Amino acid sequence: MTDVNNALSPHGGELVERVMEPREGRKKAKEARIKLTIDGSRATEIMSIAYGFFSPLQGFMGSKDVDSVCRDMRLQSGYIWSIPIVFDMSEQEIKEKRIKPGDTILLTFQGQPFAVLELEEIFSYDKAMMAEKVYGTREEKHPGVKRTYAYKDKYLGGKVTLINPPKINPPFDKFWYPPKALRQKIAELGWKRVVAHQTRNVPHTGHEWLMKGAWFAANADAVLVSCVVGEKRPGDYIDEAIVLTHEALRKAGYFREGTHLTSILLWDMRYAGPREAIFHAIVRKNLGCTHHMFGRDHAGVGTYYSPYAAHEIFRQIPDLGIGSVLTLEWWYCPVCGEVTYSGLCGHEKEQQAFSGTLIRSIIQDGVKPPRLIFRPEVFDLVMQSGEKYGFGSPFVTQEYLAKRNPIITVPPMEV
Amino acid sequence: MAEIYPINIWINEDRLKRLQQAGLADMAQEAFAGLKKLAVPANEKQKEAILKKFPMAKFDSATTKSIELLPRDVKDKIFDLVVTNRTLDVLDTFLACS
Repeated sequence: MTDVNNALSPHGGELVERVMEPREGRKKAKEARIKLTIDGSRATEIMSIAYGFFSPLQGFMGSKDVDSVCRDMRLQSGYIWSIPIVFDMSEQEIKEKRIKPGDTILLTFQGQPFAVLELEEIFSYDKAMMAEKVYGTREEKHPGVKRTYAYKDKYLGGKVTLINPPKINPPFDKFWYPPKALRQKIAELGWKRVVAHQTRNVPHTGHEWLMKGAWFAANADAVLVSCVVGEKRPGDYIDEAIVLTHEALRKAGYFREGTHLTSILLWDMRYAGPREAIFHAIVRKNLGCTHHMFGRDHAGVGTYYSPYAAHEIFRQIPDLGIGSVLTLEWWYCPVCGEVTYSGLCGHEKEQQAFSGTLIRSIIQDGVKPPRLIFRPEVFDLVMQSGEKYGFGSPFVTQEYLAKRNPIITVPPMEV
Repeated sequence: MAEIYPINIWINEDRLKRLQQAGLADMAQEAFAGLKKLAVPANEKQKEAILKKFPMAKFDSATTKSIELLPRDVKDKIFDLVVTNRTLDVLDTFLACS
């Protein structure tokens, strides 16, 4: 294993940027002999690679990287990486299209040229082994394992280049900060210490205090809220409500101007617990953050991981060049009369814990949560977002999944 | 002692009125400085049966150890049974008739 400096920021020492201007992209598209249509998940992963969120990755992993990531949580180069980023395809389709290493493949999305894949390798990999190593289980009810088992039987490895940058649609456009742009903004704002908050939830005051606590702990200039926008399940909050309510915390003054910024990360959660925590740390380091907050049950699902598995794993790996703010939960204490830190409050018997799930349950019952646990501005915006974007519901429904406005639109490109 | 996993039925105005009319207002617990709830207890077997019957429901294993996100009409039925039978111990009846 190569000895490398994992503390370099961006990860690997250089921010990857594989985005072409459309004119240049059109030329590149013409070189392609094969055309493949991709889905939204693959399109957003390509964007994350091309804009450098996933630096040092320059494309979809080859067999050596996949094996090394699964077994040792490192790329072949030696840099820590915890989740395989793969392009799966059926053997039959590979044969039908006569795809072979060395091909340049045009990837189309929404009926338009989108990216090119310079194919270096076609390989297979034991899915059960991948699941076991990455998720710690082979049980299909784990959503990450289910995704792994759903992969087709072969993988294509090679560099990708975005040749037709998509438009980010409202309301997400104002939250879209690729690493280069965000690093520039952080520099302009004069922020030296920025702590990342990973979320896929509308914020309750427990989240708000997690962010504020992390800000104190990191002695930070600002909090970067990095909202994961990706695959949704019925009953989740709609993406629009998540990003707009985080912004509302600043607009309503719960965070002062200049101390808080909301952004999006296009990513389908894998629920890989501690391994996903490492992935989140690397991506947010690439965005320019100096610290990352990890709370209870970070990126976990069910009871697959211990509540503080993400805390434990950071003690076992080399310095990633981004400080880990490891925090316990905040709860409501009727004796203290406030939302308070569980690590300090001595009223364990009286405490009332709350979660995003519990708040969703309160709202579903037609009850407005009290401001101590859910800010009224956030509640109002959740309901407005439901009307404006969610077909009457702030929670994901089948109608929302079928008819929602796309997050990205690929512009027309003649090839 | 066997673990108990509550189904929290949050008390809106309609539910409060019905509890008061039935003389059961004291059954509701205070929560989060301003809310009231009925915490309908479920044992392990009842919890599993509820989660199987209503896949949209979620057991909040990480934080509250309660069964949440049951659809409102399902909670209304459980609430009706609580008021009619004047007890929180209604889940066997609910599961038998739903």
